[in-house]
Amino acid sequence: MTHERVAVVGIGQTKHKKRRDDLSIAGLVREAAQRALDDARMTWSDIDAVVIGKAPDIFEGVMKPELYLSDALGGAGKPVFRVHTAGSVGGSTAIVASHLISSRVHRRVLAVAWEKQSEGNAQFGLGGGKSGSIGAGGAFAPWIRAYIRKSGAPEHIGWQVAVKDRQNALRNEYAHLQLKDISIDKVRESPMMWDPLHFLESCPSSDGAGAIVLTDEAGGDAAAADGRAPAWVLGTSMRSEPSSFNGRDPIRPQAGVDCAWDVYRQAGITDPRRQIDVAELYVPFSWYEPMWLEGHDIAPVGEGWKMVDRGETAFDGDFPVNPSGGVLSSNPIGASGMLRFLEAALQVRGTAGEHQVDGAKVALAQAYGAAAQYFAMWAVGTDKP
Amino acid sequence: MTTRQKAGETRETAVRQDSDIAIVATAQLPAVRRQELTETEMLLMVVDEALGKVDLKRSDIGFSCQGSCDYISGGTFSFVPNLDAMGAWPPIHESHVEMDGAWAMYEAWVRLRHGDIDIAVAMGSGKSSTGDPAAIYPLELDPYYLAPLGLDPVSLAALQARQLIESGKSTERELAEIAARSRRDAAGNPNQQVRTAEQDVDKLLAEGYLRNPLRRSDLPPISDGACAVVLVRGPRAAELTERPAWITGIDHRSEVHNPALRDLTDSASTRLAATRAGGVAGVEVAELMAPFTAQEVILRQSLGLADDVLINPSGGALTGNPLMATGLVRIADAAEAILADGRSRTLGHATSGPALQQNLVCVLEGDNR
Amino acid sequence: MTVSTQTVSTIQFPYKRTLGPVMGRFFSELTARRIVGIRSGERVIVPPMEYDPETGNELARDFVEVGPAGTVRSWTWVAEPIASHPLDRPFAFVLIRLDGADTDLVHVLDAGAEDAVHTGMRVAPRWRDEPVGRIDDIVCFVPGERAETPEGEPGEAQEVTTMEYFSTITYTDVLSPTLVRYASNLRAGKLTGQRCPQCNRVFLGRGYCSVDAIRLGPELDEDLPDRGVVSNYTIVTPTPYPGQKETEPFARASVVLEGDEMVIAQQQILDLPVSEIRVGMRVRAEWMPEAERDAAEITSKGWGTVAGFIRGWRPTGEPDEPAEQYMNRVF
Ligand SMILES: [Zn+2]
Repeated sequence: MTHERVAVVGIGQTKHKKRRDDLSIAGLVREAAQRALDDARMTWSDIDAVVIGKAPDIFEGVMKPELYLSDALGGAGKPVFRVHTAGSVGGSTAIVASHLISSRVHRRVLAVAWEKQSEGNAQFGLGGGKSGSIGAGGAFAPWIRAYIRKSGAPEHIGWQVAVKDRQNALRNEYAHLQLKDISIDKVRESPMMWDPLHFLESCPSSDGAGAIVLTDEAGGDAAAADGRAPAWVLGTSMRSEPSSFNGRDPIRPQAGVDCAWDVYRQAGITDPRRQIDVAELYVPFSWYEPMWLEGHDIAPVGEGWKMVDRGETAFDGDFPVNPSGGVLSSNPIGASGMLRFLEAALQVRGTAGEHQVDGAKVALAQAYGAAAQYFAMWAVGTDKP
Repeated sequence: MTTRQKAGETRETAVRQDSDIAIVATAQLPAVRRQELTETEMLLMVVDEALGKVDLKRSDIGFSCQGSCDYISGGTFSFVPNLDAMGAWPPIHESHVEMDGAWAMYEAWVRLRHGDIDIAVAMGSGKSSTGDPAAIYPLELDPYYLAPLGLDPVSLAALQARQLIESGKSTERELAEIAARSRRDAAGNPNQQVRTAEQDVDKLLAEGYLRNPLRRSDLPPISDGACAVVLVRGPRAAELTERPAWITGIDHRSEVHNPALRDLTDSASTRLAATRAGGVAGVEVAELMAPFTAQEVILRQSLGLADDVLINPSGGALTGNPLMATGLVRIADAAEAILADGRSRTLGHATSGPALQQNLVCVLEGDNR
Repeated sequence: MTVSTQTVSTIQFPYKRTLGPVMGRFFSELTARRIVGIRSGERVIVPPMEYDPETGNELARDFVEVGPAGTVRSWTWVAEPIASHPLDRPFAFVLIRLDGADTDLVHVLDAGAEDAVHTGMRVAPRWRDEPVGRIDDIVCFVPGERAETPEGEPGEAQEVTTMEYFSTITYTDVLSPTLVRYASNLRAGKLTGQRCPQCNRVFLGRGYCSVDAIRLGPELDEDLPDRGVVSNYTIVTPTPYPGQKETEPFARASVVLEGDEMVIAQQQILDLPVSEIRVGMRVRAEWMPEAERDAAEITSKGWGTVAGFIRGWRPTGEPDEPAEQYMNRVF
């Protein structure tokens, strides 16, 4: 049985902010979803099924919030599904939605991922409600130290990524942080939050949502015929590995390597560095850019930081990473993966506006979660596979 | 004559296609008031048992999906350790839903339909014993209008039951009869928790109300438990077990969230899901996730089940209710009616959300040789 | 020596919700003792929603005043309220069809006794003395046609844009047999784990092998050294949040036990300024005095903690181990 081809025909996101005090939770997800529907020239009634993703429920104190959000997303009478795979959830939400189409269960699916972090407190949530939470930064900082030590990377690499992603965010009206005067000096001089990570090398805490409308091949063709180029899904994959055991390499997790190669195989990619035009990688702390370049075999082991150093991942480099501004500029946790996935689709549709990378025809998106152990990735392209 | 023949079904035994998907094995831990094992250990055991029944190893699994809930488990990212129950090294292809295991099975079914893998495992696990469901469950309600009122699930079920009774669709006696029947059935099912409770209808009716018009016998117990099912695609299923439970239809539907905006005496989403799953004609056994007696009446009426359909022969959610696994247990029990008991067509149902907001229906068939 | 087989913890947090334009209007009106619904086609939905719940279509902001009296459409009696209920004396949960509304409202009724409640009865709100802009500005409904109002006229409607929701849940965690044994050994000053017969790895406080997915029973118990090497660390600058007690930068280190078997995460290094912690540093456990050892932090979730038994780790002064071979070992 061959799969149905899947096209992304609608994309929407909120203006991400520290606190969207103008909106309810329903209002937040609807802002993104309505924009995706408008982009797809659809209404709520055109949608067959809704897939919702978000990170832990304790962040907003609403248990299984997809129940309350069902009506807000036109879910009455439809299948409404809730995915939760830790930080990778925004990506896996898009993938689960795409599978509903590639398996020919549905023809038009709305996928929405969100977080309204300002309702609660992520440090509190991640610490299980207890004092002395180390937060995500404290959890990842030791591995970042290990990467720096082993690769011999100079410390300015982290600062450089922090600056680059914030500069990219200035091109993206939806991005949370708009730091016009960002500079290497500012990053270096910002407080040390989780040694070796400076404050400005870390992601913000955001309210936000991202949404996509996916269709079958006929839907993609119809959009194309209407002059609205779809993004075609070239490959999807999810991989997981245990958090903790002797022999695990958490710096370059095998699950991330396997996940990438599963996508590359489906997309016919044998040389990711050459065949991928732009990548949206989940980089909540600046050092994860070189770590994932190596972790997904885009750069050889120990060489990822050199790509950064040479400016190759900059907006005008030959392998731009995170033209959207990335997680470093907007981090509504549960939606952060979805924002990577939808930015990749924007790029290959040629609709990324000011942050459009010239000639992007194949884009890679990635999200990861928990102890760098859950991975979700997809590749999308301008041309139908 | 089978129920199916009586219902005028003329369908011949289908020739199974490569794309067909069957449940070939299930396992569940007995529902108990307090399980001392961790969720990870519970899942380890049910996966071991289910795979063992069909002589499969974890390395044979192409995809797995777990269903659990942080608020019920009482931790943030509580599903992360549960991954270890799958032996996720080398890394595996898996997913997690913050939903009952029945929806994890739905995702596994969708994944198998792609045809590139043959074997999937779905799981559900929960330890309701750790917190008070009456305090936790209001958190799944509209956070502005409903959650602050602390509307607990038993009170909500009572509001629903009253409307059912006052609309003339049921009686307190019928509810007591359902409780009595469920308890009788549970007495013969070691997986159920309430196995020795009162079974006399008049004595049940003589008990006082817990939440008028519901009595304690109309309510489920608080349970811990876990369940796993093995799904296999195509002819491989028939190689692994004598009588696979073929999934001939599965669908789930949501409806309006706020119970005060719905007709609580009907379950339109269950009816729609059942229609899309192929309908109830010829169903011999229906395992309905009705943690409250009145909900069994609503589901039965909404589905239009005939009088001779056997409802919840397992004892049902009323006598064992391991939240996040209860729905998958219903499907597993419906599958076992085919795998082990030789039934031809059965139905498993799962529900989620306040007063039957979201419903999943899975129709299963065995081949008649 | 025995340990308690269960631990109790309470998770509480004051969530701050932003309401958006429609709910904001509803709660604002409540402060002036008015109840509004919203028009959706032929219907008036109460309380108002931003969208038609049946279709998802955005609703025009056409607000309609309803009630304040209404008719009970369903009810149940709560004889013994719990802490999360809105009233602390026996009351009824009710569905009320407010006059002028086409949908029911969930609320509570203070009727004194169960036999005073029936479907079809007329009820009206009892208003809170000082409105806060929340659903319980209607404290409850009471039998009859007339709202119970505090002295004096209500003021102008106050603009309400946020609401607080205080969530508190208590969990009782039962320890697995493995954890009970683990905690008992800790109480006796011993670190123990189980060695997997398949892969030879040692796991602490789990009872199973995370790689092979097999259960590891007491017959596989092994004592582990309480000495090790700092494999990695971070220094955390604490951010304030409800329940946070840390105010100064604090270090959390991972310690690989001697023999390279097992790593214990998030440990404190004692008697050393945080700036002097090094990867490769050799340390030994500083156990709590026997009388103070406490299993309250041992839970059935996650992986073996030593909190409550080992206060931290003290440098031994021996020469450092080469750092690189340990740095990956964080969890
Ligand atoms: Zn092992």
